[in-house]
Amino acid sequence: MKLGRIALLLAAATALQFFVGGSPHRAVWPVDFFLLATGMVARGGDFVRAVLVGGVVGIVEDALNHDLIGMNAFAKAALGYGLAFLSIRVMFGGPWAVGGALAAASLVNDLIVAVLGSLLLQAPIVLFSREALWRAVATGASGGVLEAARLFPWREWWERRRLRRLR
Amino acid sequence: MRLTNPRAEVLGPRRHRGELVLASVLGFCILILSAQAPARSRRGSVLQSWILSAAAPLASAVSALSRTVSSGAESLQSLWQAQSENERLKRELAGKNRELFELRAQASQRSEDERLLAASAALPNLRGAAAVLLVENRAGFQSAVIGAGSAQGVVAGCPIAVAEGLVGRVVTVGHAVSRAQLLVDASAAAGARISRTGELGVVRGDGRGGLHLNNIPTTSTVAAGDLIESAGIDGIYPRGVPIGRVTSVGRGSLFLEIRVAPAVRFSQLTDVLVLAPSPAIVDGLEGARSGRP
Repeated sequence: MKLGRIALLLAAATALQFFVGGSPHRAVWPVDFFLLATGMVARGGDFVRAVLVGGVVGIVEDALNHDLIGMNAFAKAALGYGLAFLSIRVMFGGPWAVGGALAAASLVNDLIVAVLGSLLLQAPIVLFSREALWRAVATGASGGVLEAARLFPWREWWERRRLRRLR
Repeated sequence: MRLTNPRAEVLGPRRHRGELVLASVLGFCILILSAQAPARSRRGSVLQSWILSAAAPLASAVSALSRTVSSGAESLQSLWQAQSENERLKRELAGKNRELFELRAQASQRSEDERLLAASAALPNLRGAAAVLLVENRAGFQSAVIGAGSAQGVVAGCPIAVAEGLVGRVVTVGHAVSRAQLLVDASAAAGARISRTGELGVVRGDGRGGLHLNNIPTTSTVAAGDLIESAGIDGIYPRGVPIGRVTSVGRGSLFLEIRVAPAVRFSQLTDVLVLAPSPAIVDGLEGARSGRP
C-alpha cells in the first residue's frame, strides 16, 4: 500500500474512532477502526509497513485512552506483523477468514494490553468481557465485509449492468 | 356581294380583347355593386359575407393555431412558473427543515443543559459542562475523552458527574480536551457510603461495567436496592453524589461481597459536568507549582 493511502487510512481511522466513540450509540457496533487500519495495511503483506502502522495507531489510541503510551502500540505492532504473516504464509483467504482473523486479533489485542497493564500498572486483568467480545465480533464482521467488497468484481458487475440496460 | 367594314377587318383580332375587357369591367362593377348591396339577411354586405365565408376556414385555422400557441405558451409559462415555484417551495421547505432541525437540536441541547443545571444544584462547586468526545473500554481500562481542558479551568483530579450520579475523575489535562478515568475502570476506586445505613466502604470498578462495594462488615443490614453515594473520604470525590444501587449481597469471610449497578449509563454518556477538585488536590497542585513537598 502506498504511503499516501496509508496516511489517508490513518486519518480516516482516527476520524471514525472519534465519530463512533463520541456517539451515544457507541456500544451498538463498537468497531476497532485502528485495528482495521492495521489489518488493511497488513493485508498487502508488507511487514515493515504493517508494523509501523500498527505502532502509530496504537500510540494514537494510547494517547487518547491510557495512562501509559505504548501498550496498544506494542499490541498493534505485534498484531500488524502477525496479520502480515498470515496474509503471506497461510494459504487461506476470503471474507470469513479475514473476519475471523480480525476478531481473534481484537481479543489478542485486549489480552496483550491486559497483561501489560497488569505488569506495569498493577491493574486487574479483565479479559473477555461482554464489550470485548462484542467489539471482536463487530471488528471481525466489518473487516469481513470490507474484504468481500474488495474481492467483489465491481468492474464486471458494472459492465453487466450497463449491457443489461442497453438491451 | 359581301359587305365588309375595312375598319372592322383592321380591328378584327382585337375585337375579342375588347369584349373580354368589357366583361371584366362589367364583372368588376357588378362585383363592386353587389359588394355594396346589403345581404338578404341584412347582416352586412355580400362582399363582406363572401370574404368572411372565404376567410372563415383560414381564420378558424389560424385562430385555432393561435389559441394552441397561446395555450402552449401559457402552459409553458405555467410550467415554468410551477417549476420555479416548486424550486422556491423546495428551497423554503429545505430551509424550514434545517431551521426545524436546528431548533430541535437547540431544544435537545437546552433540555440537556437544563437537566445538567438542575443536577448542578445537588453537585458542589461546578466548573462547567463538557461534551464526551470518546469513550474507550479495553481490557478493563475504561476512559473517556471530554471536551474541556486547562483553558476551561479543568485540572487533573477534577471529579466529573452527570445528573444521575458520579462518572469518574479527570486524569490528564490538555488545553481543550482532557482524559478521564471512569468509575467502572478496573483500577478506579472511590470512598462510598450506604445511604440508608450510613456505613462506609470503598467502591471499585470491575472493568466490565459494574461496581463492587468493599469493606462492608458482615454485620451490616445492607440489602439489594440500597442507594450508594460518594462519602467524600477519599480526597477526590465530593460527598453525597449518587454512585449506584446495590444489586446483590453475598457473604464473605470478613466483609460482604456487594455488587452495585452504576447509576450512570456509561455507554450512553454525551455530556458531563466537571466539578472543582477537592482541597487536597488543589493543595497538592499548588505545592507542586511552588516546589514545596
